Amino acid sequence: MIQSSTSKPSKSPSKGAGLPSSTTQKWTSLLNNDASRAVILQAIVLMLVLFGLWFLFANASENLNRLGMTFGFDFLQVTAGFNISWSLIPYDAGMSYWRVFLVGIVNTLILSFCVIVVGTLIGTVVGILRLSDNPLVSQLARWYVEVVRNVPLLIQIIFWFTVVFSTLPAPRQSYHLGEWLFLNNRGLYVTTMDTSLSWGWIIAIGLALIVALYALFRWSKPYYTVSGSRSSGFYIGLAVWVLLAGWAVWTFSHATSLSVPSLQGFNFSGGAFLPASFGAAFVAMTVYRSAAIAETVRAGMQSIDRGQHEAAFTIGFSRVQSLRLILIPQAIRSIIPPMTNSWLAATKDSSLAVAIGFPELVSVFMQTSMNQTGRAIEIIFMVMGFYIFISLLISYLLNKYNDSVQYKVR
Amino acid sequence: MDDLNVKNQPALKQFVPTPPRPPRKSEKGIFGTIRHRCFNSIGNSLLTLCVATVLFYLVKHVLDWAVFNAVFIADNRRQCMDISPDGACWAGVISWFNGLIYGRFPVDEQWRVNIGVLLGLVWLLPLMSKRIALRNFILLSWIGLYPFVGGYLFLGGRFGEELGLVHGAMTCLALAFLAIIYANWILSALGKKGLNELFVPLVSRLVERRIHLLSFVAVWLLVALVIASGLSQVSLEPVPIERWGGLFLTFIIAGFAITMAIPVGVILALGRRSKLPVIHWLSMTVIELVRSVPLITVLFMAVTLLPIFLPADMEFNKLTQVLVAVCLFAGAYMAENIRGGLQAIPKGQYEAAATLGLGYLHTMVLIILPQALRMMIPNIMTSFISLLKDTTLVSIIGLFDIMLMARNIANDKDWVGMHTEPLVMISVLFFILCYSMSQYSLNLEKRLKVDR
Repeated sequence: MIQSSTSKPSKSPSKGAGLPSSTTQKWTSLLNNDASRAVILQAIVLMLVLFGLWFLFANASENLNRLGMTFGFDFLQVTAGFNISWSLIPYDAGMSYWRVFLVGIVNTLILSFCVIVVGTLIGTVVGILRLSDNPLVSQLARWYVEVVRNVPLLIQIIFWFTVVFSTLPAPRQSYHLGEWLFLNNRGLYVTTMDTSLSWGWIIAIGLALIVALYALFRWSKPYYTVSGSRSSGFYIGLAVWVLLAGWAVWTFSHATSLSVPSLQGFNFSGGAFLPASFGAAFVAMTVYRSAAIAETVRAGMQSIDRGQHEAAFTIGFSRVQSLRLILIPQAIRSIIPPMTNSWLAATKDSSLAVAIGFPELVSVFMQTSMNQTGRAIEIIFMVMGFYIFISLLISYLLNKYNDSVQYKVR
Repeated sequence: MDDLNVKNQPALKQFVPTPPRPPRKSEKGIFGTIRHRCFNSIGNSLLTLCVATVLFYLVKHVLDWAVFNAVFIADNRRQCMDISPDGACWAGVISWFNGLIYGRFPVDEQWRVNIGVLLGLVWLLPLMSKRIALRNFILLSWIGLYPFVGGYLFLGGRFGEELGLVHGAMTCLALAFLAIIYANWILSALGKKGLNELFVPLVSRLVERRIHLLSFVAVWLLVALVIASGLSQVSLEPVPIERWGGLFLTFIIAGFAITMAIPVGVILALGRRSKLPVIHWLSMTVIELVRSVPLITVLFMAVTLLPIFLPADMEFNKLTQVLVAVCLFAGAYMAENIRGGLQAIPKGQYEAAATLGLGYLHTMVLIILPQALRMMIPNIMTSFISLLKDTTLVSIIGLFDIMLMARNIANDKDWVGMHTEPLVMISVLFFILCYSMSQYSLNLEKRLKVDR
């Protein structure tokens, strides 16, 4: 590998005058010239890579021929014929492998999303507790982080599954919270709402209400900053908002009934179900992720100059105020890049749930489907493609956000 | 001159800072600290009390379970339950201890594992001594030669037959190198010349250049021949790779990943920083692709795709496939660490090297990489720790590492359903390993800061 700026200055052809023959001279001068050397080297590397790829593909086609297999994605239309223990989107054994792929993706995304949200919250709290003045609290937070991050995630997942979730009582002796929540060795049964309205509308209206409230506060902020009290327009707006929200809740509650899980025979019916494998994977990964995020947060907070703490203290900010207004906004800048990596790692780590049989992408597609169809190349290509897509997407989005919070410099 | 002038002038009034006030009496001493930091307000006092209570019950329960109510001697799980129903049953772990460490390696041959691991450590021991020159070569020889010795000891077989002559020759060269390192260490402690200088008078009569190198090679070959004649008399019982397991296998995979990560990472990182577009894009593609997929998919890929993409007559065992995957994975992550280090090197260093007339290779090997690697030691150590933890994943594809051995205890008919104790035991083991590694890296970081 040659870097043109640091490699030897090229020798001019005249310097090689003492060489025995003109052909040798020509060749040495070509090899000693930066530009030509770069071209030659790259050509060699490219040829090696192409040869390697050709070699691999030649072998693959020969091996596939020998085994009587073909390459193609037509198997995706074939009926899968196996059940999946838990899926968020409708699935049954009569559906195709493409559906299995989608089920795996949705389950992976749900698991990682829950882990990322809860793990970030807990991690931030633990990271701030680590900086507490109270030695008992800061040491407790420290040892939490040390223990959790020095034990492999896979061990923790299996620990939570076999030691905690599998030893919960049988369905008949479930732990329960009133009649709404049942926890047993199969998983968690929760009460859900059955509604005659469309969920799309409900979510849209809910989001619209939240946005409206935010906009109201945003709109009245300049007046509030100057005068210290809210304008009358704000109160009128708030009253309208409360009326609208009340109407929405009223309509919703009249069109909705509760679906309560109840024990029938050996199993529960009604409500929603989260399998024990989800619980174990979620708890283990959240704990693990929170420790990593706590370290990120602590490092970010400590990177702030001490003068900032002292200045905040001097102008009479309380600890919470100084955290919220002075420290966290500055720490965010150095926290975001490692936090991005942490979230990406959480998405990738979700593949470890395969060890306890949670039906995520690797488990349903890379194990079960691959064993049934034998389409190793296509399946690995698809699974890796999914993870690469997610990684690129998350890092792209967070790079955008990161650019927007960095200091503006010339 | 300035100093002189200052001295001749009338003495300026020296600035004497006011000494800081001593802490209040209530804040002094251990009780003062506790009162000042744990009980300085009502909220904080409540917090302290809550945390202390929780901690107390946590520690009490854990100790009760793990120590006071635990059973250490029993024949099976039922007996454990009879003796103490709510304590840990360490007897099961103890009876499986050998399996956890060596996997299914034949008991009579386990001394070979011990010797092999010990040899690996002994090889690195001279690195501690500041007396020995060219310590980098010891590290390089460990990376390049030790695997042959290890492979010979762990696989066994008659010398030069089961494993082939090349492997046998490399084993002898490796052992000879180790012998020379130690001979030189002892000789230098005695104030004598090294063993490799033995043939210098003879060689200097024959050739004019590279006298010391040739002398070293001559000594090396001679010692290797002596060792070969000794080893050819020995025959070790062959142990198939399928019987490797436990902590031993974990160490092999982690050790391989750790040692291969640096060379692979350096090549990928330099490739990514290269100004040649082909090399830059190739390295970047490899790094980014490998980094954005989970290790488990890389492992699955190695196990299922390598047999398809390589010639049918090439035989692979699972361990080789896993090592290829782990090596690629570790290299890609290491490349990003090293790239960070390379980017932190000031441009002046490159320019100074160019001014001295150093070519690309010399600039990198002599100037840039030593600084970049040193700067990145904490990050590199962090990568090593996560590699060690990630080796547990090989249990998912069915290699009997310590994780799978521990899970297997629950399938033993004597210890059916015993999950908790083995998991706790290997958690503690990993904690000790990883925590001491991270403390060592902190220590190293501090020391390197002092150097500067």
